[in-house]
Amino acid sequence: MLVVDGLTKLFPGGKGINDVSFTVEQGEVFGFLGPNGAGKSTTIRHIMGFMKPDRGSASIKGLDTWKQQGIVQKLVGYLPGEIAFIEGMTGKEFLDFLARMQRVDSAVRRKQLIDRLQFDVSTPIRKMSKGMKQKVGIVAAFMHSPELIILDEPTSGLDPLMQQLFIELVLEEKARGTTFLMSSHSFPEIERTCDRAAIIKDGVLVATNNIHELQSMQRKLVVIVFEHPEDAEAFVQSGQVPAESRDGRRVTVAVQGNYNELIHEAAKYKVRSLDITAQNLEDVFMQYYDRKGAAAR
Amino acid sequence: MNLPLFKQMMKIHAKGMSNYAFGSAFYILLMFWLYPGIADNTGALNELLKSMPEGIVNAFNIQGGFGSMEAFISGEYYGLILPLLLSIFSIMLSTGLMARLVDQGSMSYLLSTPTTRRQVAITQAGVLSAGLLLIILVTTGAGLLGYVWFIGDQFEFNGARYIEMNVVAWMLFIAASGITFLISSVINDEKKALGTSGFIIIGMFALDMLGKISGSVDWLRYGSIFSLYRPSDIAAGSGDPLLASLVLLAIGLACFAAGIIAFSKRDLPL
Repeated sequence: MLVVDGLTKLFPGGKGINDVSFTVEQGEVFGFLGPNGAGKSTTIRHIMGFMKPDRGSASIKGLDTWKQQGIVQKLVGYLPGEIAFIEGMTGKEFLDFLARMQRVDSAVRRKQLIDRLQFDVSTPIRKMSKGMKQKVGIVAAFMHSPELIILDEPTSGLDPLMQQLFIELVLEEKARGTTFLMSSHSFPEIERTCDRAAIIKDGVLVATNNIHELQSMQRKLVVIVFEHPEDAEAFVQSGQVPAESRDGRRVTVAVQGNYNELIHEAAKYKVRSLDITAQNLEDVFMQYYDRKGAAAR
Repeated sequence: MNLPLFKQMMKIHAKGMSNYAFGSAFYILLMFWLYPGIADNTGALNELLKSMPEGIVNAFNIQGGFGSMEAFISGEYYGLILPLLLSIFSIMLSTGLMARLVDQGSMSYLLSTPTTRRQVAITQAGVLSAGLLLIILVTTGAGLLGYVWFIGDQFEFNGARYIEMNVVAWMLFIAASGITFLISSVINDEKKALGTSGFIIIGMFALDMLGKISGSVDWLRYGSIFSLYRPSDIAAGSGDPLLASLVLLAIGLACFAAGIIAFSKRDLPL
């Protein structure tokens, strides 16, 4: 559906993206992750045909997004990272205008979406809050039922309830066979919707992973509270299981597969309590970054 | 040309356009209304003009004197006020149609629909030209109406020369708005686009004026499109308005085309 091949764009000042390649299959929800300034939006701008790549290409269903700008857009719905509507219009006027530009009769779907997201379309755009603009943007991206929907930071500005609703919307569209490319730094959102995710850092694609794979890479944090602080000290000193931190009789250990060592070592002492928390995906990604950073050094 | 976009843009900018058009119409009607009173003192006024330094008279395009209606209007309106009004209009509207949409980011919405950049740029150029045409038509119409209402058969009025004057003014501003459109198509920052096109257009206007004030810096005028616009010559029946119009039109069309092409090929920070 979407093929990004060796996409390179360097800006004066050294920033930009370098040799970014990934493929999004039909019907897949693909997450695009990375910290601010990593190159997510730059990549998306190329996919939308706003910029000409220095090298490489982006294509949707075989159509080059730069050379065939204006044709490719028939297949695409887009939610920009920073939403700016044309001034001097109400939400309704804007959506009606955009529908005419999209050349699809989307009145029914538009109304459904507005009802779902619950906002007053007759509000002038300049009086809208960020969250409300985000809702108008989501309607604009979904209403013409495109084959591929590109979302740049879709839930920023939405309250938790609306974030939840948004995830439902994405999953419903996914069930209908719509393909998604979604940039985000909200990991729960990616965890719940995406099949695969690419991680970008400093303009370079660090990894492309199956979400389940990433989940299996999760480390578990085990918090052990010992009966005696001395035991805690001895446990850390033994070094059988590397401890993350120690605070009095409380020791935090990160476990990734080495459960036996942990149990053997901990069994030597009197344990008062034990708590296990799974590391969230965010930390898994951070680990990725750190490892890459260490390798570069 | 994208029809939904054209309609929407016309709707958004209709108020601004009609403000300029009605302002211009009102002013020209006022001039026609005043003329009979002035015409009675033509002799004295022409004497006054003669006593003024020639450079000043030339600079303000009032060398036509007050002898005929079209000479009067060429000096009092077409010489200074109308060019300034239309310069401001071209600078403001072309910035609002191109650079502002890029700067604010709403251009990303236009380009996320199945419309090529070329179509978007051509449509915006069309909106600018339509606004310009509207102002010129309303102004010309108001002048003719003013003639019928206030002048009648009392005074000499050469309608053909008056129309000619309007046509050359129109061509002048096709050239000027072509230049501002080109600038607005290649600059990402709204304020910078506004400043640059303001500097160039008002600068050209000033160059032409300076060149006319003093013969020694006459050459300054060759850098200005305004030197091709001589309303007082047209009123006097001299000069070559056809050639001037063709040159201005050619400049305008070339600039519009360059703006459209430049916009289609460049990176947009959306």
